Amino acid sequence: MKQKTLTQSLSWLHTWSGLIFGWLLFAIFLTGTLAVFDKEIDAWMRPELPTQLIDQAEAAQRALDYLAARHPDASTWNIGLPTERSPSLSVSAGEQRRGGGQYLDPHSGEPLEARETAGGGFFFRFHFTLNMPRNIGIWVVGLAAMAMLVALISGIVIHKKIFKEFFTFRPAKGQRSWLDAHNATGVLLLPFHLMITYTGLVIFYLIYMPAAMDALFDGDRDALFRELRGAPAEQRAEAGRQPTLAQRGEQSGERAERQNGASERPAGRGERPNGQGGRAGEQSRPAAEAAPLTALGPLLAEAERVIGPVAGLSIQNPGRSDARIEARPVLGNRIELTKGQSMQFDGVSGAVLRMPTESRPSQLTQRVMAGLHFAQFGGYPMRWLYFLCSLASCAMIATGLVLFTVKRRRRHEAEGAVGALLYRVAERLNIAVVAGLALACVGLLWANRLLPVELAQRGGWEVRVFFLVWLATLGHAIVRPWLQAWREQLGLAAALCLGLPLLNLAGMVRGSHFWLEASAVALGALLAWTCWKVGQPPQERPARRAAKTLAEAN
Amino acid sequence: MKATTPPWPVISRILAAVLGGYLFTYAFTAALARLLPLAKVDALVVATLASFLVYTLAILWAFGCRSARRAWAGLALALPLAVIGFWPQLLETLG
Repeated sequence: MKQKTLTQSLSWLHTWSGLIFGWLLFAIFLTGTLAVFDKEIDAWMRPELPTQLIDQAEAAQRALDYLAARHPDASTWNIGLPTERSPSLSVSAGEQRRGGGQYLDPHSGEPLEARETAGGGFFFRFHFTLNMPRNIGIWVVGLAAMAMLVALISGIVIHKKIFKEFFTFRPAKGQRSWLDAHNATGVLLLPFHLMITYTGLVIFYLIYMPAAMDALFDGDRDALFRELRGAPAEQRAEAGRQPTLAQRGEQSGERAERQNGASERPAGRGERPNGQGGRAGEQSRPAAEAAPLTALGPLLAEAERVIGPVAGLSIQNPGRSDARIEARPVLGNRIELTKGQSMQFDGVSGAVLRMPTESRPSQLTQRVMAGLHFAQFGGYPMRWLYFLCSLASCAMIATGLVLFTVKRRRRHEAEGAVGALLYRVAERLNIAVVAGLALACVGLLWANRLLPVELAQRGGWEVRVFFLVWLATLGHAIVRPWLQAWREQLGLAAALCLGLPLLNLAGMVRGSHFWLEASAVALGALLAWTCWKVGQPPQERPARRAAKTLAEAN
Repeated sequence: MKATTPPWPVISRILAAVLGGYLFTYAFTAALARLLPLAKVDALVVATLASFLVYTLAILWAFGCRSARRAWAGLALALPLAVIGFWPQLLETLG
């Protein structure tokens, strides 16, 4: 008796938490799926930049020549080096923090004008802030992640025949098929769902659960990070610094920085072993003598030997005897989310001044968990694995949402006016959230190519197009008949995905983005298939009877 | 879910799970960090990493148990846990 009530109450919990947060979760998961390839999308959205990879030392020399000619007196030079995923070269000088950087042609060293765009980073930011003010967004997403965790665990409990039913799939049977699809995607990738949800919460663990910090450190974040790092005399730059373009060139570095801004103060950059802040360093500059910078080739080779592929360099006091060069690793040289794990060299002699710090075991645990979520490790095969698993997560959430309405379609007449209204609202929201968001995402990419390049605040307009398209799909879902609305939105999204390569005709494109366009076409085909499938009426009884007689005959 | 049942027990249960569960988890995490025989920072990280599991279980328990009143009673364990977690701060306040 009690067992029955437990299953029932958890089933209730699963249904309602799944429904209320399912719309939000679908948006978070879909943009997260796209964010797996954020840098590739980013490169596609800046078609003026070449995509051919070039030797880093050579590119660094071009950047140095440019900086020496244009910014000889700057206190700091930042260089974003071309890497496997992000083959562009960018530089910035001095205290420029917000978009003050400049793309360079890595072959000639000439400045390149790239269009202003929201970039692939939009999907990444939307994934964890929903484009809301950062702190509010993080809390809303955290709440949704908790709901996901609760839905997953309660889903396991109510799904008693978890193993047997995993092998059951009854296609084209209406409600049963939706349930089977929901169960199959849910169970097959259960470890992935649990991992990605839990590690997502762990990224901002001290924001969500500051209890231990409040108890042991009286809520003093700075004191905690001093002790975590174990180095007493280090000073960190002020929090919330905006990354420059040069740092954006290695966008995973930017990710780390953004994470840093919330869960930890930025470490590494701006951090000096002698305990001087950036300003103190500037004041001491006149005392230093002029001295040539060391050759970057051997320095890069040494840095790569120790920390793996290098994403960028910061040079403090270039051309002075007290010059310092900091090399930052590409995020994902290891599973651990290596934020602020830079290595410092003497800018004149090239000697190593500071090796990257090792995390203590407990902190390493947290960073490895965060790294598992960020999926920066393991190269492209791992990235594809994450992408496909996340697509399956999206499918699980979407089928769950559809299942809710399909299940109640027959019942809602009996549930009175309120029930009928709720059912209608859920039905329409499902269309706008699932098909509409897909449409809005691909709409953003179309806007990137079709909006005039000289438009002011172009990146902001791209985002506006994204939200306007999304809003339009909601209106469309309300006025059109249910099935037609599904088919039309899925069909349009499919057409836009399939047509993505055609956009290259809309303007000059310097690089080749074959894989991204091929993937878009594949996703377009998937959407088209779904659109066609949704239009098929569920098969009638005879099919099942035939299967049953077959089973009996065996 | 059913229109015939009064909404209060459900609302009470949701509040118990979301707010009560969070307060319980907060107190539990503070107490665990205080009690773990590890260095201060290590205890903090370990307790905080586990907290999301604790919150999940607290929510499930609040919905799974027989009545909303029982759910609230169970989550009231937060009080003694908070006393353990914030013992030094409490002593300081009391003088």
